[in-house]
Amino acid sequence: MASMNAVLLVSFLLFSIGIIGVLIRRNALVILMCVELMLNAANLNFIAFARHSGSVSGQAFALLVMGFAAAEVAVGLALVVALYRKRDTVQVDDINLLKG
Amino acid sequence: MEHFIQMIGRNMFAIFGAMALGGAAFMVASRTAVHSVLGFLFAMLCIAGCFLSLEAEFLGMAQILVYAGGIVVLFLFVVMLVEMSKKKEKEVFQLQSRYAIVAVLLGAAAFLGVFRKVLFGAASPEALVLRPELAQGLNVASQNAQAVSRGLFADYLLPFEILSVILLVALVGAVVLAKTERV
Repeated sequence: MASMNAVLLVSFLLFSIGIIGVLIRRNALVILMCVELMLNAANLNFIAFARHSGSVSGQAFALLVMGFAAAEVAVGLALVVALYRKRDTVQVDDINLLKG
Repeated sequence: MEHFIQMIGRNMFAIFGAMALGGAAFMVASRTAVHSVLGFLFAMLCIAGCFLSLEAEFLGMAQILVYAGGIVVLFLFVVMLVEMSKKKEKEVFQLQSRYAIVAVLLGAAAFLGVFRKVLFGAASPEALVLRPELAQGLNVASQNAQAVSRGLFADYLLPFEILSVILLVALVGAVVLAKTERV
């Protein structure tokens, strides 16, 4: 049986890796994957606390979060494809149209 | 041998969690996008294992279906479409990496400051452990899917319906964004 602390620690580390990836990577696809990783870390917490409190609400909400993640990936990948058509790159450093 | 297997069974969450962390680190650190996607896939499968070891069987299976079956394939398709770029990636990591690392370290310090007692303290008044007697309310391992669906369709019907609308909007939006100009 896993202790709550182990779950919290793993979830925190996963979230940190996600944040590090979003901040330091330049590839838009990898950044999207890191966002997914952060959502999964949150899901892990939801499930752990559902298990802890004996209520099923956390698991239901984790399922909802999974659906939101799917929607977000669909829109994000469509944006990446559209961006690639227009600018011929997926590196976020090369996308500086708003900079003036 | 028996003892060894029992030990693995008891530490299933820690094993899967460590493997998920490894996959995630590989995802962030690898240079090619396809390797990143493979690390992502591995991390998602290990997180599904974590869900299973926390006795959320339905969510573990849904995780495998949604992520390994859907999202990773979508990512691989887009990598295949996009990654044949003429100009190569000059540097994998951004220039402001230093600031990012400092920010993350600050965040970690804040987290440890808040949770220091919970994580490393000797004995809090009520220790944060998973309580088996409460888990009976979830009907774990026998009817987890039934319990989850009761929560989803009885208590949280409105968020569920809103999610369906959002999925529809995302579908239409993705089609509009990704379609070619001359149609």
